[in-house]
Amino acid sequence: MLTLYHWEPNANSGKPMLALAEKGVEYESHYLDLLNFDQHKPEYLRINPDGTIPALVHEEKILTESTPMMEYIDERFEGPPLRPTDPKERWRMRWWMRFFDSYFAPSLSMIGWSVFVGPAVRNRDRAELEAAIERIPLESRRIAWRKAMFNEFSQAELAESRRRAAFGTDVLERHLTTHPWIAGSSFSLGDINGFNLGYALPLSQPDRCNDEKTPHILEWLRKIYERPATQATWAKGRTQMASRVSVLQRKS
Amino acid sequence: MLELYHSEPNIYSLKPLIALNEAGAPYTSRYFDPTSFEQHSEGFPRNVESGLHLEREGPILVDGATVLSSSFFILEYIAEAFPAANLLPGDAYEHYRARAWGQFTALQLSPGVCALGCARYLAPVLKSRDPNQLKARLERIEPAERRAAWVAVIDGSYDEKTLAGVRERLAMPVRRFESALARTSWLAGSAYSVADIDAFAMLSPLPDLAPELVSASVTPRIVQFLHRMRERPAVQQALAVARTARPQEAFVPGAEPSRWG
Repeated sequence: MLTLYHWEPNANSGKPMLALAEKGVEYESHYLDLLNFDQHKPEYLRINPDGTIPALVHEEKILTESTPMMEYIDERFEGPPLRPTDPKERWRMRWWMRFFDSYFAPSLSMIGWSVFVGPAVRNRDRAELEAAIERIPLESRRIAWRKAMFNEFSQAELAESRRRAAFGTDVLERHLTTHPWIAGSSFSLGDINGFNLGYALPLSQPDRCNDEKTPHILEWLRKIYERPATQATWAKGRTQMASRVSVLQRKS
Repeated sequence: MLELYHSEPNIYSLKPLIALNEAGAPYTSRYFDPTSFEQHSEGFPRNVESGLHLEREGPILVDGATVLSSSFFILEYIAEAFPAANLLPGDAYEHYRARAWGQFTALQLSPGVCALGCARYLAPVLKSRDPNQLKARLERIEPAERRAAWVAVIDGSYDEKTLAGVRERLAMPVRRFESALARTSWLAGSAYSVADIDAFAMLSPLPDLAPELVSASVTPRIVQFLHRMRERPAVQQALAVARTARPQEAFVPGAEPSRWG
């Protein structure tokens, strides 16, 4: 039995969803509504006491870190390999996944939370929101939610996030100029990871990420968008956030 | 032939030194002093990844034309390039655990350990230098995040209040290591792996830097783990490359803490 607890095909939730789809592995899907704080409810905290998503349950083992989780999926299941065999390309895949996870994605998500997640919940009852924050297990996530809900991101930290988002976009464009895929010569978990953070870049960073300035990023995103596994995964999306992926549809 | 660019056998630089000795892999040692800023000079091996380098100050492993950076991924590279050493043992789930620990150590433990170590040991070293020359040198560091991390060591950023916050945030990761080591002798499961090398390098300074967090009385499992590691010949060989009397005081700014707080 394989069960995945996830939200939208986006960011960390989308990583194992797309990896499983690429492998052709069936799983029982448990959709948690992040904006309804399903991930902090007692029934889910029994699965993952940290209250973060996604979580993968397989053979009574619980996996909660999305990037190592993708390596587990690739290693444990039949299907097309999603990691290069050359250790140097594997190293490059992992390096870029860390760059995405700890540098690029947090900056994009800070901007995303300030314009999307925060406004989506802000009009609810203040006492209800405070109570929701109190149920979050990890202090770092409590801080993040508080900032998003009550619009407490400072101008300085949003400016730094915008600077990093722009810098990350430039670095990624340069990398894809010399490498067809993140790890090098073949499609890998690095591309799955990068797509999840970057599929909406042409919408969120229109002045930085477009056909003139970043043609290699656009071509890379479109190639991944056109894969059957990507189509099937983003079709599971329930909100407008996931439907942003259609920006990658080629104009005929 | 592999070439390892490393500084004193402590924190980040200690990791590949241990792994290469465990693997019995021949390598050429390229020793550098990070406070001389050799790692930012022309002629130091560099590529896009090492230039951005989230861990900032090495180590670097050069294999032919490939320049490898980021210490946990160097460990995984050594494990995969020298499979006979069995540094990533067990099944897919144990591999997952080793990688999850690698990520946890890098993001939750290392920034705090480096902040405490830099405040106590690196700051006085830098403050003994000519301030104008040092300032001019630091201003040339790229990218901006790397420059900011060095400047923070001397500009008063590490005040008492900040360091108290750092200690507070270290309590959670320390607790998790202690409870994991109560369940199994090694972090990924029943066998020794790259996760242990990785965590050892970062936990090892804590009894000195934060005895209220790590000591035989408050964290007996971690202290036993540190002893178990130091009994390994590969760890002893790695520690023996030291060129100073107190390698455990050699610190670099390291990875930055999460910007989300």
